[in-house]
Amino acid sequence: MDERPEASLVADARRGGREAFAELVRRHERRVRGIALRLAGNAADADDLAQEVFLTAWKAVGSFRSGSSFYTWLYRIAVNTSLSFLKRKGRERNRAPFDENRNAAVPGSDAAPGPEDRSALNELTARIDEAIAALPAHFRASFALVVDQGLSHADAARVLGCSENTVSWRMHKARKLLQARIKPFLEEARR
Amino acid sequence: MRCQTARKRVSDELDGALPSGRGVRLEAHLRTCRACRVYREDLERIQAGTGLAEAPAGFWTAFERELEARLSAEEAGRKRVEVPFAAGRRWAWAAGAALVLAGVSLWLALPRPGPAMIEEAWVAADDILDPIVRAVESDPELAGRIDRELQASIEEMSPVADPLFWESLSDDELRAVVTAMEKESGLGGPQ
Repeated sequence: MDERPEASLVADARRGGREAFAELVRRHERRVRGIALRLAGNAADADDLAQEVFLTAWKAVGSFRSGSSFYTWLYRIAVNTSLSFLKRKGRERNRAPFDENRNAAVPGSDAAPGPEDRSALNELTARIDEAIAALPAHFRASFALVVDQGLSHADAARVLGCSENTVSWRMHKARKLLQARIKPFLEEARR
Repeated sequence: MRCQTARKRVSDELDGALPSGRGVRLEAHLRTCRACRVYREDLERIQAGTGLAEAPAGFWTAFERELEARLSAEEAGRKRVEVPFAAGRRWAWAAGAALVLAGVSLWLALPRPGPAMIEEAWVAADDILDPIVRAVESDPELAGRIDRELQASIEEMSPVADPLFWESLSDDELRAVVTAMEKESGLGGPQ
């Protein structure tokens, strides 16, 4: 069966169509939760945030302008809801400032508490996740949209309400910080 | 090309945001700079190791069910608040509308002084005053008494008739009065 065009679903949802909105939810729920998960840092908060995002979208869908892209609008709600949540929780204030010189523990060293049977790839993924979680929130938001969701710099800029150059610069800075933080692990794995 | 510029372009390249012309120059730099080559390898490994954990099986069904329940609750709440003609309120609205209608009808039915009514009022006043004016004009003695009465009432209201009037004035006010009187009588000398 052919998929209904998104514009038609959005038009129905704007008129109060719950079925159409449910279909939009099914199409975007994974990505919305992915953004929330990257920003909140844990599954329980991400699940609550994803619910909140869709509730907000349902309440506001009547004011959505049909000329713009629905997913850009929805992801903006997702990013803003997650950032507001972080502010409320004060996590950003309490988060230890990112220290480029503080390197991740090298596997096999005394400081590495991870289970020995964990594969190198899993270990790398876990280290990368930890390093991403320590990035400043706006860098994480750019990373979530560009790397996790595969958005172009232009689309990410529309979601975040900033310029493409800003997204490009944030991505560069984020990667530089990540590379600096897990460099010892990468070097160890390279040997 | 400086290494800093090259690394920014490596990041753009990973996001598919590097124009082809710049890619050629980047490749030329990487051929001669080992540190930047290693940096690119590190970023590629980080990119490959980045991924979000998939939600457990059955998660999305439960997620959609919970969202559906919350949307229903939200909608029910909205109806309770927003529907003005809900069954319980219909009589109140009808009574209010009837009161407003009765008020408007009463206001419209009230008699208003039209031009003819104003003309009649003037004529009636003339009818009362005319005999008095005629009687005064035909009796010089009565006219003289009325004149004297009027003069006496004017004098009563003047400050000269009130012995306490001057005492109630301040020094400045007294000086102002004296100056004005001198000016009026020509005794004040040149100003």
